[in-house]
Parts: sequence; structure tokens; C-alpha cells
Amino acid sequence: MNEMIKIDDLVYQYRREDQLEPLYAVNHVSIDVERGSFTVIIGKNGSGKSTLAKNINALLLPSGGAIYVKGYNTADETKLWEIRQAAGMVFQNPDNQLVSTIVEDDVAFGPENLGIEPGEIRQRVDDSLYAVNMYEERKKAPHLLSGGQKQRIAIAGVIAMRPECIILDEPTAMLDPHGRAEVMEIIEKLNREGITILLITHFMDEAARADRVIIMEQGRVTLDGTPEEVYGHAEEIKQLGLDVPFAVDVAHRLRKRGIEIPGSIIRSEEFADYIAERAIKPLSIVKEVRQPNNANTAARTDENPVIEVKNLTHIYSEGMPYESAAIKDISFRIERGSFVGIIGHTGSGKSTLIQHLNGLLKAKSGSIVINDIDITAKDISMREIRRKIGLVFQYPEYQLFEETVHKDVAFGPLNLGLTQEEADNRVVEAIKLVGLNYEEIAQRSPFELSGGQKRRVAIAGVIAMKPQILILDEPTAGLDPKAHADILKMIETIHIAENISILLVSHNMGDVARLADKVLVLDRGQLAMMGTPTEVFSNADRLETLGLGLPPAAELMKALRYRGIEVPHDILKIDSAEEELHLLIQNRK
Amino acid sequence: MIRDITLGQYYPGDSWIHRLDARIKIIWTFAYIISLFVIRDFWGYIPVSLTLALIIGVSGVPLKFILKGLKPIFLIIVFTFTINMFMTKGTPLLTLGFLTISREGLYNALFMGSRLVLLIIGSSLLTLATKPINLTDGIEKLLSPAQKIGVPAHELAMMMTIALRFIPTLLEETDKIMKAQMARGADFESGNLINRAKSLIPLLVPLFISAFRIAQDLAMAMEARCYRGGSHRTRMNGMKLKKKDAAASALIVLYLVMIIAQAQGLFHWLIRFL
Repeated sequence: MNEMIKIDDLVYQYRREDQLEPLYAVNHVSIDVERGSFTVIIGKNGSGKSTLAKNINALLLPSGGAIYVKGYNTADETKLWEIRQAAGMVFQNPDNQLVSTIVEDDVAFGPENLGIEPGEIRQRVDDSLYAVNMYEERKKAPHLLSGGQKQRIAIAGVIAMRPECIILDEPTAMLDPHGRAEVMEIIEKLNREGITILLITHFMDEAARADRVIIMEQGRVTLDGTPEEVYGHAEEIKQLGLDVPFAVDVAHRLRKRGIEIPGSIIRSEEFADYIAERAIKPLSIVKEVRQPNNANTAARTDENPVIEVKNLTHIYSEGMPYESAAIKDISFRIERGSFVGIIGHTGSGKSTLIQHLNGLLKAKSGSIVINDIDITAKDISMREIRRKIGLVFQYPEYQLFEETVHKDVAFGPLNLGLTQEEADNRVVEAIKLVGLNYEEIAQRSPFELSGGQKRRVAIAGVIAMKPQILILDEPTAGLDPKAHADILKMIETIHIAENISILLVSHNMGDVARLADKVLVLDRGQLAMMGTPTEVFSNADRLETLGLGLPPAAELMKALRYRGIEVPHDILKIDSAEEELHLLIQNRK
Repeated sequence: MIRDITLGQYYPGDSWIHRLDARIKIIWTFAYIISLFVIRDFWGYIPVSLTLALIIGVSGVPLKFILKGLKPIFLIIVFTFTINMFMTKGTPLLTLGFLTISREGLYNALFMGSRLVLLIIGSSLLTLATKPINLTDGIEKLLSPAQKIGVPAHELAMMMTIALRFIPTLLEETDKIMKAQMARGADFESGNLINRAKSLIPLLVPLFISAFRIAQDLAMAMEARCYRGGSHRTRMNGMKLKKKDAAASALIVLYLVMIIAQAQGLFHWLIRFL
């Protein structure tokens, strides 16, 4: 028996109350997962991948076909605990899967349920905490940990049950890049130690590390093979609304232009190696030929900025022994109609800063002038501020509360004191702006929409207030690649069509490089860097010390530079990277 | 506001009291509460107060912190005091219009007032000096004999643990939703009572939905980790009684004997005898 998991023609259907036809979440899927392998399942939201995972753990039972874990049929109730012990499961939301108020007690929860001897549990808990590098935090309360740390505790809780296989259902979807890297490192380590890994994810770069990639669409397996084999179908993957790793994407574009690149290249490092072997050095001519990307936007300065922040400082819990400066002495100005990216790792003060811009937090000192009005003044009306500045928080769909989409979007405008009629007009307009069909959606409950639609409705609720400045805190967090791209396109449309200044807080350097014309970098509450994307991202070393990465295109260029090939510093987007690589490879011919 | 309530809070420390087995502390608290009701005269509270002062001293919890816990029930204390003072008939001491304070009334007011204060301080000391998780474990252990007659001891303890775990998460969630709705122009602070109650809807609906989502996710995660109720379950930190717990038990017995003796008038008898 070489398979850890054998999925044999699995069918899983949900019964829908209002429809006769059941929904096939998983539709005739057969997969064998080999012992010790690292398999990644990728698919859009609703493709059936999570349902599949829950079936393996016997949290759901097949409607048709069968699943065998370690040879046990999941439908066999007498083997239920053996199955769940052998194939542990880690879920998406780091907050909602920890049970206890103390880290080590939480890790002990699984073994306790299995009825293990107390001494043995202690040993396993310590081992598991060491395995995920969390032994130092064993006495802490889970709510004091970062998202990445919480996920590592969840993994430790599974390891403590001594499983042979771990199924992870989008474990990194709600984490920042740092947390994601931490978790992926642990997953790879566990796999090296012999644990079979089944990872469900949206992130293609995570898939590139696996030895098998399975792509699911509408309950079926569409592609299945090694990462190299699967990425050979780049076009197909993109059509499914999924991403491919950057290197695969560029290679694919170059192949279309008649350049041969082996299909085995899926990582930027490998790509750089391949280019370096073939390019003639030096190639500095390239630099002079081409214009920097962002010259036009960066040169623009405005006499009256839309936001001017001067020496802004905020201190949390002032006067208490544990007071801490959340932001310190921040000054910047933002020109009317610009698109600003705000980056910095978690805890750098991004959230604190944007909450000041719309008056939710009061500054300790310093001033914020928006459209010539000082919003830090005492006599200022909050309603005035909120009329000017819209703020969309992370996971904005969690604020929806009304019976219908229309009523929910109207909430903001009505709070501004508009008449019902004016508000109604704005609702229609806002829902159209976020790319939804008003007639189709307005009278439905916001809670029956899909994740991406909910988020659009929530953003519409802020846009309906007609702000001159729109601040978005990670508007794409937790979305699949298709919804991610759609939301960004929507933001671009709003930016251009309504001439709204945008402040985008993001962890995705590629998005920031592509969309922003100015980037603010925060670090430990201070403004560490500020400038055009080219200026900021050409300083890779500085960004690295701040714990931040580069856009994928710049990452590839950096890898080339590291290999002695001179490439310009202003390559931040896929188009310019493609041009540059094309030139490099043609020159060698 | 929520932060001001010290009732039911834990004060981190490593005192002798902190390290006692939670079960002993629960029994101790019960004995203490019973003693408050057994004692029939005001003077009997003097040894009780001294005992309590001693325990507070050993626990290292600042008195100020404990007294803050009385704040939310201050009104109840005043009410009890006043009612007893004016409503007890007896030898008049002072007459204010139609209200008369009797000698017995004053005595009763002092007696009932101090009973309430001692009750609150004593029972809040239990939570102040015991980690919540140990407290729930202690309750589970103490109730487990009652499981035979159908008391869901394990389930109760599990519910308390989960509540403790998710209170900070839900507070954070409340803060987030509140800010988000304020950014959409919601006003939680002004207006009359009805308007204010109405303004809570945009906060409460998302909060309830969050709570249900958490419950659903958590139930699934617990099932995946082989949770199947209290049977079969072992504990990593099994509760073991140590020497100091035995000493504490002896002290409880001593305390009870003293109280009963006092209530039976044995002290008066003893004093007269000497």
C-alpha cells in the first residue's frame, strides 16, 4: 500500500433548498496521494477544493465514490478517530481554530482527545512546539500572537497527534508575506521529515515548491502533474482565472515571440540562471535606449496637495507603563488625483496612519490638512471629514448588515444627511461603479452573495459617500486570483473615472508597482522611504532590511544583476521585464 | 468601560494563593460564603475580615485593585444599607421628617452592608488569584461526580474555556466593526435612547454573524482534532493535590470550626470562662 490517501470517483453534492438540482461541489474526482509526497491543490473559490479536503478528514461524507485514508474507508464510522488522527487538518482562519486560552494547552487538545497519557502529551506538546519554532511562546494567550504564529500553533496542534498526513486548507490566505513565509517553511520542513502534505492554496508560488500540482475547476480535476508539467499549460491556467508564477508567465510570453525557453523553468532563480548562461555581458546599451516607466507620473507636482500630513505622532495607551508610539513624526503630501501605495510589514503603523486620515484616531501631535482644511482642529465636524475621505477596511464584507444590498449601500449616504432620493441615486451609481448589475443584485440579501461580490458591495457602500480620497486597506486580502485581479481593475476604474485620489495599503509589491505613482514605506511607526515606485523599489537592500520584498519583475532583475548582468532599475512590471529579457536574449543571438 | 470591571478578572501573580489547587480555592470560597451567612452578629465579621485581610496580604493583589471591583455594585450596597437603616423598627435614634433611624436599623444596615462587601471581595479574590483556565478545570473536576446524575460537567467547563478564549477576539472584532461603521458615518454616541439603540444595529448584526462564523469554524476544527466530548479524554496537566493544598484544606476546617464556634456563642462562653 503506497497511497496515503486514495480518492476513488468521489462525488459530493449539496442540496439546495430552492432548487431541484443539487450542486455538485465535487464531481467524479479520483486522486491517489502517495506517502511522503507534497501535493498542492489549486482552484478558484467554489471549485470544490475545500469540500474535497473535508471529505478526506471525514468531516463530510461522500455522496458517491469513496475515500480511503491509510486504507480505511472514511465512511466506516468505527475508524473515524484513526482517520482523523492519521490525516490532521489545518484551516484557513488562524483565529477560529484555536480552542484554549494558553498556547501549550491548545496544542495538547488533540492528544487529550485521543486519550494519551499525560506524560506522553507533555512530551509531544514540547516536541511539536519546537517543530514549529514556537516553544518560547508556549505560555502566551493565542490572541496576543500574530497570524503566522497562530497558524504555526494550529499546525503544532495537528503534529502533536502524530499524523502521517497533514491537510492544509488555505493556511496562508489570511496572512501577510512574512507569516506566509514562516508557515511555508514549516510545511516544507515537515514534508522533508516524511509527513505527507496536501496543501490547498491560491498562491502559485507555493505550488511551485510541491512535487505535484492538481488544478480543480467546478468540482473536477482539470490538470494534474508535476509543477513543470502543469505550468506548461499557462494559457489554460490563466483562462481558469488562476495565476501562474511570474517566471512562468514571462517565459510563456517570450515563447510566444519565438524564443525557446525550456518548460522546466518555473522559478525566478532558475530563469535568471538560464538567462545568465546565455547572455553576453555587459549589456548596458539597453539602458540608454529605453525610457523609465514612471517618468511622466513622477514628475507631476501639484501646488495644492489633497493631503498634507505634518509631524504626525500617535501614542497608544499614553500614561500607562506599556505606552508605545504607534506612529512617530510622519510628514508627507499627496497630490490631487494620485494613486499612492502604502507598504510596510504588519505592525509598522499603516493601520494607525490611515485611521488618522479619516478622523477615527486623534493625533497626539502634528497636523493633517485635507483640501486646505485642518482635520486635527478641535471644532471640525467628523461628518465633513467622512464626506471627503472614504475608508475601506480589511475584509469590508464583515460590516454588511442590512436586509438588502440597496439598503446597505445607502447606509453611508443617509448618514451624511442626504435625502432618500439622493441616496438612492448614489446607490445605483456606486453599485454600477463597482462592476455589479444593479437590477440583479439590489434587492438581494448581501449575505447570499459570493465572497468577491460581498466585497464589492462593501466597497460600494463607501464609494456611495462620494469621497474625494479613497483609502483601501488590503482590499484583495483572502480573495482568489480572479477576484483579486477584478477588484484591482475596479479600483483603477474608479480612480480614473471619478478622479478620486487612491491610497492603497498592500502587501503585494507587484500590485503597488503596477498601480501606484507614489509609494510610502512605513517601518516601526516611521516613514522609512517615499518616492516613485522606481525610486523605492530600486533600493532593494533597504527594503530587505525593512523585511519587505520586491515586485516579481524586480526580483527577477535583481537575480540577473546578482549574476553579473546589468539591467535597468526601473523594471517593475511584467511588460517591461518581457521587453528587457527579449532584448537580452536577442543580443546573444 | 468594559476594562474598568475588575470583577471576574485575573491578577497575574505567583503567590502561595495563586499556586493553590483551583479546587481548594473554590471550596474555600464556598466555605467562606457560607460562613458569612452563618454568622448572626456584626462582631462575628471581625475575625472574618481579619482572615480575608490575611489572604489578600498573602495573595499580593493590591487592595486598590480589589476595591475597584466594588465600583459596579456600589449602588446595590448603598441601597441595601439605606433600606435596612430606615425600614427596621426599634428604638429611635434620629428622626428626619417621616423617616426614623432606629438603633436596630443602624446595626442592621452596618451588618448587611459589611456582609455584602465581604461577600464581593471574598469571591472576587477567587478569580483574581486563579487563572481562568485552572478555574474551569477545577469546576469540571469538582462537578464530575455529579456527571452520574446528568450534570454536564465537562461541557460546562468546555463552554467556559471557549468563552474565555474568544472574549478578546470578539472585543477586537467589535472595535473593528465599530470603526468601519463610523467611517461610513455611523454615530454611536449622540441622540436619545431609542436612536442610540437603533444605531447599534449596524454593529450588532455583523457581530452576531461573526460569532456564528467563529462557532462554525471552531466546531469543525475541534471535530477534526478528534474532539468527542469528555469521555476518553485525558488532560496534560492533571490536577494533583500538593502539600500546600493539604495545608490549605486544614486551614479551611480550622476556619469553619472557628466560625461555628463563634456562631454558637462559644467565644462569649470562653471569654467569660477565662
